[in-house]
Amino acid sequence: MSWFSFSWQNFWFSYLALAFEGLPFVLVGALVSGVIAAFVPSRTITRFLPKNHLLANLMSGLLGLIFPVCECGIVPVVRRLLDKGLPFSCGVTYMLASPIVNPLVILSTYAAFRGQAPEWNTAIRLLSGYFVAVLVGLSVIKVNPARVLRIGSGRAALRRSVLSIASLPEAGPDNSSATFVQRLIAAVQLASEDFIDTAIYFMIGAAVAAVFNTAVDQKVILPLANNIFLSTASMMGFSAILTLCSTSDAFIAVTFVSFPIVARMAFLVFGPMFDLKLFFLYSVLFRKRFVVLLGVGLFVLIGIVSAVILPQVYAFVRG
Amino acid sequence: MRLFAAKILNGITLLGLGGVLISFCLKGRIDQYLHPQFRPLVLIGGIAFCVAGTIYLMAKKSMNCCLDGECVHTNRQNPWRAAAAFGVIVLPLTAGTYLSKDGYDKQVVLNRGFVQDVSKLPARNSIGSPNAQQGVPPGALGADQDERASAEPPLPQNTSSAAPPKALAKASEPPQTSGKVDDGSEQYLPRAADGNVALEVTDLLYGESEESLRKEFTGKTIEVVGQYLPGSKPNEFKIVRMLIVCCAADARPIAVPVQAEKTVSAADMSWVKVIGIAEFQESGGGKAKVIFKAAEIEPTDPPQDAMLY
Repeated sequence: MSWFSFSWQNFWFSYLALAFEGLPFVLVGALVSGVIAAFVPSRTITRFLPKNHLLANLMSGLLGLIFPVCECGIVPVVRRLLDKGLPFSCGVTYMLASPIVNPLVILSTYAAFRGQAPEWNTAIRLLSGYFVAVLVGLSVIKVNPARVLRIGSGRAALRRSVLSIASLPEAGPDNSSATFVQRLIAAVQLASEDFIDTAIYFMIGAAVAAVFNTAVDQKVILPLANNIFLSTASMMGFSAILTLCSTSDAFIAVTFVSFPIVARMAFLVFGPMFDLKLFFLYSVLFRKRFVVLLGVGLFVLIGIVSAVILPQVYAFVRG
Repeated sequence: MRLFAAKILNGITLLGLGGVLISFCLKGRIDQYLHPQFRPLVLIGGIAFCVAGTIYLMAKKSMNCCLDGECVHTNRQNPWRAAAAFGVIVLPLTAGTYLSKDGYDKQVVLNRGFVQDVSKLPARNSIGSPNAQQGVPPGALGADQDERASAEPPLPQNTSSAAPPKALAKASEPPQTSGKVDDGSEQYLPRAADGNVALEVTDLLYGESEESLRKEFTGKTIEVVGQYLPGSKPNEFKIVRMLIVCCAADARPIAVPVQAEKTVSAADMSWVKVIGIAEFQESGGGKAKVIFKAAEIEPTDPPQDAMLY
């Protein structure tokens, strides 16, 4: 049997399923973005975060607990937050952490690992995701946003790299005098445009994922389970191909019983941060080169965390 | 003019998307694609897209789009990009609406491979779940407690709603008629209209790892509905069901091997109702392998929920 066998019937079924599952979440993200744009004053975010870079990044990794947005909807929110004054490194930290460090994912991970030390597995997933997100956020502190952000994205963040945050003016005079209804309508308009910008890439990602999900013989991938490094790498690759939502991926991860728990944890940390769909979604915000570097960096970092550090953590937990 | 064209196209994109989502919900087709928990979101999303599209088309710009008048939306004034968005978002969904057959063919089953140990699956809610057409509380069978499975009463099974079937193969009478069993299982084992014990593929596979289930199932006339997949011999085949966690994209095939006394022929992945008995062959460690001995095999309509959860 060939390793690749495409069928339109299977493609349409998988593609539509991914679209129906993901588009409402993209909409939620866009609505959150629209509401932030219309109702949250520009300086609120910067006032909220500490001035110290380390503390600001540490706090940004927890923003998902306040703005619980999964990875499908995170890009418009981050783009909006960058325009509202969120420092670039904090935006990256929030973007990577939010799909894992949020209440819905905590609940779903706990439920999925029922009977398999759910409290530990949930905690390890959260801490791993938080640790990786903060580390990546800190690593881009010195990066000039102008070199990595796409034109039109995060212009305020770009300007903050030159000017001081405090010098940035509030949004235009129309915004400050707008009534609640005007702001509400504006929120819907902005959310609609954010949604369309994001959904284009989501749909392309869903199409690519549908081809991989249905046409590729998965037996080609599964024999990699016996080696801890290969299993970790293959599970991360698998999560990138499957492009699952972080609110539900734990239910899939627990089914890979032939893979060690650390490889499944790599699946649960890497997938929400970088997959085929996110490759396209991140391209809304960042230049392609940065997206590729981000993907490679996350793959290496999460691979090391999962294959080297997590076995020690699990050994400690098991006493 | 460019802004107006982009606005119209974006509005139509939102309305078209909303229309597709609502259409799938109203026609019930969404049931084949998503876990029940996600279905309401599609309807709500469809309505929200229509509302947003209407507001987008009708309302004037009431405030500055973005900070300092610098718009981050690359398609806001670009009708070509808005047209591309329409082409990437709405056209494929509309095409899929007409071209999708709401199910997979045999190739996906072969590509994904069968789940080997169904007891490790997270969605262990077939027996007694609100979704399944079954009604055996695991606790009543001495199985592991499962809050989700026992929390809600089962729905009546609907495998008997099929049109009068034409038998594909028929063997001798089953060794034991279900109506004569008097072991207390009458209270909770789900029954088809003809009195047979109506189980899902998952139930039989759970029986491989749970001795209490094996005891309950052994010797009873059982009816299972699934999709036909040919085996290595003319009288062997598999009854396949797809088990999903969230949506059809993550569907994983599960199957029970079936042995019939005569040659069986049916179209690949066509729906069949198989009546017979389950035999469990001990494989050590308190586990067993199930083989379903078919007495009757009939074509049938797909169940309301083709996927198991």
